[in-house]
Amino acid sequence: MKTVHTDVLIIGTGFGAAAPALRLAQAGAKVTMIEKGPRVQTADFRQTSDPRYLLKYLRGTPGDHLSLTYAEALGGGSGFYEMVSLRAPSVAFDQLDAQGHRLWPEGLDRAALDPYYDLAERMLHVSQIPLAEVPKTGLVFAQLMKNLGYSVDRARYAVRGCQGSGFCVTGCVYGAKQSLFLNYLPQAVEAGAEIETDLEALSVQPLAHPHPRAWLTLGETPYRYQVICQRRTGERERLRFVARVVILGGGTVGTATLLLRSRTYLPLLSEHVGRNIAYNGSVKVAGLLPDGFPDADMFTGRTHPGMISYHFLQSHGITVHGVKAQPLMIVSAARMKLEGHRRVSGWWGEPNVELMQQMRHRMIVLAAFGLTPPGAALDVSEDGRARVVLPLDAALERYHADTRQLLESILLRNGCRLVETDFLDKQFEPEQGVHFSTAHQVGSCRMAERKADGVVTSNGEVFDYPGLYVSDGAVIPSSLSVNTSLTILANAERIAAGIIDRYRPSSRAPAR
Amino acid sequence: MRDLTRRQLLQHLGLITAGLAVACTPLKVLTSAYPQAFDDDAELTDGVLRAFALTVIPSAPAGDPDLARAFTDPDLPFAPYAGFFASDLARRAGNRFETPFERLDVAQRAAVIREALAADGTTQKLYGSAILLAQVAFYAGIYDDKRGCELIGFEGGYHWHPLAAITHPDPARFLPEALTADGNYS
Ligand SMILES: Cc1cc2nc3c(=O)[nH]c(=O)nc-3n(C[C@H](O)[C@H](O)[C@H](O)COP(=O)(O)OP(=O)(O)OC[C@H]3O[C@@H](n4cnc5c(N)ncnc54)[C@H](O)[C@@H]3O)c2cc1C
Ligand code: SF4
Repeated sequence: MKTVHTDVLIIGTGFGAAAPALRLAQAGAKVTMIEKGPRVQTADFRQTSDPRYLLKYLRGTPGDHLSLTYAEALGGGSGFYEMVSLRAPSVAFDQLDAQGHRLWPEGLDRAALDPYYDLAERMLHVSQIPLAEVPKTGLVFAQLMKNLGYSVDRARYAVRGCQGSGFCVTGCVYGAKQSLFLNYLPQAVEAGAEIETDLEALSVQPLAHPHPRAWLTLGETPYRYQVICQRRTGERERLRFVARVVILGGGTVGTATLLLRSRTYLPLLSEHVGRNIAYNGSVKVAGLLPDGFPDADMFTGRTHPGMISYHFLQSHGITVHGVKAQPLMIVSAARMKLEGHRRVSGWWGEPNVELMQQMRHRMIVLAAFGLTPPGAALDVSEDGRARVVLPLDAALERYHADTRQLLESILLRNGCRLVETDFLDKQFEPEQGVHFSTAHQVGSCRMAERKADGVVTSNGEVFDYPGLYVSDGAVIPSSLSVNTSLTILANAERIAAGIIDRYRPSSRAPAR
Repeated sequence: MRDLTRRQLLQHLGLITAGLAVACTPLKVLTSAYPQAFDDDAELTDGVLRAFALTVIPSAPAGDPDLARAFTDPDLPFAPYAGFFASDLARRAGNRFETPFERLDVAQRAAVIREALAADGTTQKLYGSAILLAQVAFYAGIYDDKRGCELIGFEGGYHWHPLAAITHPDPARFLPEALTADGNYS
């Protein structure tokens, strides 16, 4: 097996990985990033509904009462996300666990993250959508809220020169969306980092001296970890990377899966690996607008409709959004029929065609993201396949029912007709009972003050494994009630600053 | 995302990813014995599958060459079951109306499908998957990036719209009070 030595090995190339890669490379460390997904760039993207294309990059983890979506490609979720880039509100950082302890470690709150949010926003050119560019769906959503006396804000996006093509989630063919391969990753490469794609980390193993005796700089720190990897193309050869510092940025599912598969080599790992997953408890409802409402065009303008309502954040712990979706997503996600439709065949045949014909201009979909507790866990099989399990309790069922009722009442009080949506599971069966689906999963290796409560310190270092860090969504200890990427990136900037502070890479000896 | 939320309605893509896999051992058992003709005679199978798609989406253009393509597309997971599925439609049509499925009128074909959807769990799964595949392929226009689906006004990819077509004039009139200065709530 070929062996490669590096100062810092970073697993993944998404939001959590990109910041430490850039900052450590700029600080003079020899940085190597490995990404299991394929290399992508603007020219590779298509504006398509071809499932074969989407399945190349997008993955799902199914489960009980919860299913997760994420991307596996250069840049992680950034190639396919909707570029909504919002700071988490203070109330998200102040959440308590069942024992009344703060979920976030002491000292980590919105004010502490703000300087890193500033940095992340500058890097991704985040700005509030100009009023003149808010898509029709967003304006109609605003009108629904305004009619009931509720507030709405224009959201913020990582984009420059958006054409409003509406295909953000298949990748931006114009290079307008600020995916990480347009900023952080090329800048990291310019600073000397190397990136290998189609290469999967299989296990992380400590070498003889994980605990250096002195407070050493990066160059003086011994090689402490080896990571066994396998190419996902060609001969599928295995490689061994040996590093002084290893940073895991494989995402909430990827990082926890890797650590769980490495447990034999890392026996002191916290019991919390793979647990405490928070998921922004998202609840969705759909309706048809009454006559007199303007066109809510589902298909034109950027994929996210431009608006967010914080009106119910303090009272209900939720934000409310309009949702846009293309036919592929809608049809493959749910069986839809008009409420009260007597015919059993409402989700196919003529009644369904009639509904589908109203989808573009008359259908409105609302979603809420909530501060639901971090209650889900990953179950990873021997062969690395993950499932997610969310135990339901009365409080969660009540949250779902109340939130759904609130969203439906927004539609009904505006005169909308409800559309019944039965969300589908992996076998096309309607989900039974409460089911959440999200791309905002976080927390599978959460930060905590003590190993008894989490997997990593507030600096991102794995308890009892010096030099082994986690910097991605896995460390975020709570639901955020807003989209996750900017908080993950800001926190990764903070962790990177801590690593630089600790190891002072510019005084390193050259890597072998 | 979405979450698909957006993405979530979609859960977006998550469901796509998860959703396009017909995985089940019972199906394999069930499909092990059926008339060979449905594997050997592509035209016979295509005729039945097109009639099925036109029952699920009655207003679809009957001459659309891609109407039944997804059922037998080797890149999609339904292909191994397409022959069996066509034979099952034919058998049910024969039992109930003594007529080949593709020669029934739309109401009769719908009755055959409804009957299957009320049958055992495996049959329900097979028919549910087939309905979903027909809808996805047609409404999303999966075989031509640019085509979309005229019936529902989906234009597909690569169609540029001026700003005026994306938003409404005088957008300020839609907006209620905002709670933040810049979109970030503190
Ligand atoms: C369709 C979609 C739309 C979204 N829209 C938004 C949005 O508008 N705004 C927002 O804030 N958030 C959005 N999100 C969520 C956002 O993308 C995620 O929160 C974010 O990408 C998570 O960052 P991360 O660094 O934790 O992991 P990721 O970005 O998922 O990156 C992890 C990377 O690590 C790689 N990896 C995993 N395991 C290994 C391994 N063993 N070896 C090598 N590589 C590995 C993966 O392939 C992946 O590329 C969206 C997500 C999706 C899927
Ligand atoms: S809507 Fe804007 S950001 Fe999204 S794909 Fe189109 S041009 Fe790119």
